[in-house]
Amino acid sequence: MSEQGHKQGAVRFGMVIDLDKCTGCMACSVACQAENNISFREDESNKLRSISWMEVFYLDNDQDYANYQYTYLPRPCMHCDAPHHAPCTFVCPVNATTRDEENGIVGHIYPRCIGCRYCIVACPYHARDFNWWDPAWPEPMEAMLNPEVSPRMRGVVEKCTFCHHRLLKARAKAFLEEQDLYEVTYMPACGEACPTKAISFGNLNDAESQVAKLAKDPRAFRLLSKLNTEPKVYYLSKHEWVRKQGDKHFQNSNGNKRG
Amino acid sequence: MNDEKNNGSGKRIVGGVIFVAGFIIALIFGWVVFPNLLYSQRPQPMEFSHAAHQDSTCEDCHFFRDDGTYSGIPRIEKCKECHESPMGQTEDERILVEEFIQQDREIPWRIYSWQPDNVYFSHAPHKVKGVECVVCHRDVSKEEKLPPYKENRLTGYSINTMKMDVCEKCHAEQGANNNCGVCHK
Amino acid sequence: MKFGRRAFLQFAAGAVGGTLLSPLPWKLVDDASIWSQNWSWRPSPERGPVTRKASVCTLCDGGCGIQVRLVNKNRAISVEGNPRHPVNEGGICPLGAAGAQFLYAPYRISQPMKQSKKRGDATGFKPISWDEAVGELQKKLSNLRKAETPHTVAAITGHAHNSMQDLWQQFFTAYGSQNLFTMPSHRDSLQGAGLLALGREAPFAFDLEHASFILSFGADLVEGWGSPGRMQTLFGKWNASEAEGAAVKLVQVASRCSMTAAKADRWIPVRPGSEAALALGMAHVMVKEKLYDASFMQDHVFGFEDWTDTRGKPRQGFKSFLMAAENSLEAASQQTGLEAPRIVDLAREFAAQNHAVAVWGGSGGNLPENTYHDLVFFALNVLKGNLKPGGMLSLAATVPLGELPQIRGDETARKGLAQKSADQIGDEKPSLTGRNLYAFLSLVAQAPPYPIEILMIHEANPAYGLAGKQTFEKAVERVGWMVSFSSYMDETALLADIILPNHAALERLDDVIGLPGSPLAYYAVAAPVLPPRLNTRHTGDVLLQLARSMGGSVGEALPWKSHEEFLQERVKGLAAAEGGAVFEESPSDWGKVKVGSTPHRNYTDGAGLWKKLSAGHCWYDAPRDPLQEIRSASGKIELAFQTLDSKGWAVEKDELYLPRFALQAPSGDPKEYPLLLLPYRMSSLSYGYHPNPPFMTKTVWDFVLKGKESFVELHPGTAQSMGLKEGDRIILKTPGGEATVRVHLFPGARPEAVYMPLGLGRKGYDAYIGGKGANVNSLLDVQGDPLSGQGIAWSARAQLKRLG
Repeated sequence: MSEQGHKQGAVRFGMVIDLDKCTGCMACSVACQAENNISFREDESNKLRSISWMEVFYLDNDQDYANYQYTYLPRPCMHCDAPHHAPCTFVCPVNATTRDEENGIVGHIYPRCIGCRYCIVACPYHARDFNWWDPAWPEPMEAMLNPEVSPRMRGVVEKCTFCHHRLLKARAKAFLEEQDLYEVTYMPACGEACPTKAISFGNLNDAESQVAKLAKDPRAFRLLSKLNTEPKVYYLSKHEWVRKQGDKHFQNSNGNKRG
Repeated sequence: MNDEKNNGSGKRIVGGVIFVAGFIIALIFGWVVFPNLLYSQRPQPMEFSHAAHQDSTCEDCHFFRDDGTYSGIPRIEKCKECHESPMGQTEDERILVEEFIQQDREIPWRIYSWQPDNVYFSHAPHKVKGVECVVCHRDVSKEEKLPPYKENRLTGYSINTMKMDVCEKCHAEQGANNNCGVCHK
Repeated sequence: MKFGRRAFLQFAAGAVGGTLLSPLPWKLVDDASIWSQNWSWRPSPERGPVTRKASVCTLCDGGCGIQVRLVNKNRAISVEGNPRHPVNEGGICPLGAAGAQFLYAPYRISQPMKQSKKRGDATGFKPISWDEAVGELQKKLSNLRKAETPHTVAAITGHAHNSMQDLWQQFFTAYGSQNLFTMPSHRDSLQGAGLLALGREAPFAFDLEHASFILSFGADLVEGWGSPGRMQTLFGKWNASEAEGAAVKLVQVASRCSMTAAKADRWIPVRPGSEAALALGMAHVMVKEKLYDASFMQDHVFGFEDWTDTRGKPRQGFKSFLMAAENSLEAASQQTGLEAPRIVDLAREFAAQNHAVAVWGGSGGNLPENTYHDLVFFALNVLKGNLKPGGMLSLAATVPLGELPQIRGDETARKGLAQKSADQIGDEKPSLTGRNLYAFLSLVAQAPPYPIEILMIHEANPAYGLAGKQTFEKAVERVGWMVSFSSYMDETALLADIILPNHAALERLDDVIGLPGSPLAYYAVAAPVLPPRLNTRHTGDVLLQLARSMGGSVGEALPWKSHEEFLQERVKGLAAAEGGAVFEESPSDWGKVKVGSTPHRNYTDGAGLWKKLSAGHCWYDAPRDPLQEIRSASGKIELAFQTLDSKGWAVEKDELYLPRFALQAPSGDPKEYPLLLLPYRMSSLSYGYHPNPPFMTKTVWDFVLKGKESFVELHPGTAQSMGLKEGDRIILKTPGGEATVRVHLFPGARPEAVYMPLGLGRKGYDAYIGGKGANVNSLLDVQGDPLSGQGIAWSARAQLKRLG
C-alpha cells in the first residue's frame, strides 16, 4: 500500500507534453488514429460525436491582435492515478474500465462495456468517446486496420490506452530476452510520430527517466489538478497564461475551444 | 381403500419411472446429443501429419519472431522450403504444391485455439515460465491426421477456444497479473 | 396406459432436473452471451507478422525518411518516421502519417480510362486496356511529329525535385517541344533571384542547424516551410529546455498570428505584404548606423556602392538607395504599420547576433514570391555577411547525378524547338528563368499562338491548385486532347480525355533531389513499399515506352528499358562523381556536416550505392562555400542586377536594378472591396496535389470547417464594425469570384484583412474529401512578377456581405 492508499506497482507509465515544442501539426492525432483503428465518418466536424483519443484543444491568452497568443494542447487519456480509482473506473457498473495497478494504465474492455456512458460523464477531461455508429471504413481502407488493436463496435465507449498493446509486445520481447520487466519501456504512437519530440513517455516512478525529470520541471503543470485526479500526463509551458488555464474548466467558447 | 392405496403407490412408482425416464433422457440429450448439435464439423483445407514431420523440430515451424511475437501456424513460405516440388504422391501433397505453393497462396487453416480480436495472448511469458505446450494444446507429436475442427454454431468459435475463466484461474493460481489489460487489446 | 397430464408433468419435471444437471443451459447462456458480443459486420483485421520497410516519403519534396508498417508484408497499416534518418529523426508530419490512406483511397483510378461523353462528365469514363491507352497516345504524338508540329504538345508536372522532371525534359527536348511546365513554386522566383545576385539559377539555402537568431519574414516555418520534417525537427531543438541545451530565438514577422507567430519568441505584426518593407527599413538602419559587415561588402559585393552600367551610365548603388527618401525609416514605418523605434531595435538586435539569419517564403515555399522581395531579404543577409564561409546563407548544393544522354534531335525536333514556348510569346520583357505556367494558360485560353493539341498532366492538380477563377479550365477548353497520369480522380483528371493512372506513392519507385532550404547536397531513393494494388503503371515507364515505340532520335534519347534502370543509371553517375557519402551515422551528427567537411565515402560503385539508397538511407555532401559558387559578371555578389542588361532588359530607372519594395497591390477598387483576402496554411490541411486524407480532416477545428461550410478569419473588431458575429454566414466576394463562407472571430487577424485556409473546397474524390468548404485559390488575384513575370497570387481585394 502506498501513501495514496492503493496498491501500486513499481511502474507508473506517464507522459510529458512540452507545449513549447508542440507546433499543433496534429501528427500525434493522425498517428494515433492509424495505430488504434479509430473510425472516421464522412463528416467529422461535430466534435461532440467525433471519436478522437488524442484530441487537441485550443487555448489562447484572451489578448487582442499584437499581443494575441495561442497554443494547441494535445490531450490523451490522463490515466488518473487518484487513490483507489480514476473517476471513470469508479463509476463503471460492469468493471469494463479498470486501472492496472502494475503499470498505472487505465484500460477499457469493449465487449464488456454496456454503453451506459457514466464514465464519459465522470471524466473531467473529455477523454472518452462513445461509438454512436457502427465503425465503417470505405471499402479498400479496411486493409489498413492494425491487428494489434481490436476494432470497436457501436454502443461502446473507447479512449486512449497509452498504446497498451505496445507495452504488451515490449514485455513479450523482454520475457524472451530475460530482461528486467520493470525496466521495460516503450513509446506510444503519438510520441513516436511527434516531429518536434514534444512528447516524452516513460516510467514516472523511475527517478532517472526523462519523464520523471521533466515532471519536476518548473514549467510543468497538470490539467485540473485541483480535482485531485492525479493525472499521469504532465504538460510543460513557459507561458504563465497557459499554465493557469490548466486548472480552468473547459466551459466557454472564448477562452477554451474544444477542437 | 387398499386398492386405492395400492393403486396410489403403483402410480407413484410409475410416476417415478416417468420422472426418471425424463431425467435420463434429458441428461443424455444434454450431455451427448446437445454438444453434437451445438458444434458443426468443418473440414481443414488439406490434411497434415505432424508425425510425418518428425525430422524437424517443433521450433522449425513454431518459433518466436525477433519482435517477441509467436509465429503460430507456419506460413506458406515455410512449407515452400521443403515442398517446392512434391515430396510424395498423395492427393494432399498435390493440393499443397499446386494450389498453395505454386500460386503463392496462404493455406486457410482453421485454427483450433483461435481467439477473438479483443484478446491479446503472448506465448512468450508462458514459455519462459515453463508452461508446457500440452497444458493448453493437444499433443501433436505422433499425430497422423488432423482432428476434426468443431465450430460452435452459436458463437462461431472453435470448440478448443480457451475461455477467459480458464486463463484467469491459472493466472490467479500462479500469482500472475489478472488485470483486464493483460489479455485484452 | 394412458400418458396423461400427470405423467407429462412427471416427465417434464424429470427432464428439467436432468437438463439442469447437464451442461446444456449453462453452455447455452454462455454461448448466447458470446454471440451477443459478436458483431459480424465489424471488420476483423487480418493477423500476421508485422514488419517494417524503410523508404523515403514523396508526398512532398521534404525528403523525410519513413518506415511503413506491414502486416504479412502485403498490407500497409501505418507510416512512421524513420528514426535513423537525419532529416526527420523519426518524426513525421500528419500527411506522411496518413500516407497509407492514399494507397487505399476509394478515389484511386484502378485502370486506364477514356472519356466517352463530354469532358468533365464523371460517368463518361470507360475502362480501356493499357495497350489501347498507350497506343492511342503514341499514335497522336507520332502524327503530330509527322505533321511537323511537335511544339503543340505541352505538359505540366508537379515534380520539380526528382528525376521524373528530368525524364520529362529529356522526352520533350527529343520530341521537339518547349512547352514543359512545372507547378508554380517559390523555387521559380528564387532561381531568378539567384541568377541576378550570384549568376546561378539555384535557390538559396539556410544553415538553420547552426543559427542562433532566426528572423522570419512571413515564412511559415512550422506549418511546413522548405522540408517540413527538417523544420519540425529543428523547431524541437530550438525549444530545447535549458537542461537540454541552448535555446534559439525565433522572431516572426507576419500580418496574421500564424502558428509560427504564436510559437515564436516574438511576433512582429505588420501590414499584409509589407515584410520586405520592414527588411528594407532594417537595412536602412544597419547602413545608417554602420551595423553591417563593411569589409565583406567591400570585398565581395558589387553594387553596394554606386556603379556604372555596361553603356557607361553611372548608376545608384544599394547603399545610397537605402538612404533615399523612399527607403527612410518613416517610409518603412508607414508601410509596415510599425513604430520606427521598433524597426531600429530589431535591426540592432539582428546585427548584434553572431548567427542571425533572415528567412522568408510566405506560402511555405510553395508559391513564387515577388523576386524583388526575395532579393531584399537576400540583401539583408548580405549586409549581415551571411555568405561568408560558416555564414548562414548559401546556394543549395547540386547533386552530381549521372548526365542524361546527349539528344541528337532530328529535323522535326529542331523545328519544334525553334518555336518559342507558348508562354514566351507576346511578352515584351524576356523572362529571367524557366517557364511561366500562368502566362501559358492565359494565352492558351485567350489567344493561343498556336493550338495546343495535347496537354499532359503528371502528379499535378492545376484545376484545383492554381490561383484565379478557372485559370486552368478555360485553357483546357482550347486544348485538343488532355491526358492525365493521375492516380486519383481529382479535379484535373476529371477534365481529361484519357487517364493513364500512375502508381500511388508507396507503390512507386522515385527519387528526391535536394532538400528544400537546406545547404547540404541531398539525394534519396524512395523504394516501393508494396507491389501496385491496381492496374496502374509508372508514368516514367509509360514515357519510356512511348519513346521506344516512336523510335528514331526520340528513342535514342531515352534508351532505358525501365524507369528503374533509368534511376539506377543516374545513381551510377552519382557513385562515379567526386564527394558525398551515404549517411549512416547517428542522426544527431547531421548538424556537424559543414562547409569543408569531407564525408567518408562508404560505397564503391553504383550498385552498392543503389542498394544502400533503396534501403532507405540518403546520400549527402557538405554544403559549398557560397563565395566559390558565384558566377556573376563581376565575380561578386551583385546587389545591382546588371544581369538585367545582358538579358536584354532596357532598364531606365536606377532603382529597378536594386532590391526594393515593390508590392503589387491586388486589383479592385478599395472602396468596393475594403478588405484584403489572404490565404493561410495549416499543417492539418493538405493543399497540394494530395487531398486531405480522412485522418487529417478529423483533426480540423470546427471553426475552420463545419459540415460542408468553411470559415474565414476576421478580427473581432472588424466583425463588430460590420455587424457580424461568430458563425454568421457571409458571401465573400473578390474581383475574381465569390464564395459562401462563415465567420470565425480571430484576434490574431489583421483588422483590415480576412484570412482563408488553403486546402479546402475540393470537388469529386469521395464523400470524405469532396465538397468541404470553399477553395481560396479560385478567389485570389494573379499578377505578373515585375522581374520574372511569374504569376504571383498572394492576396485579393475582398468584400463581405451577410447572408440572411
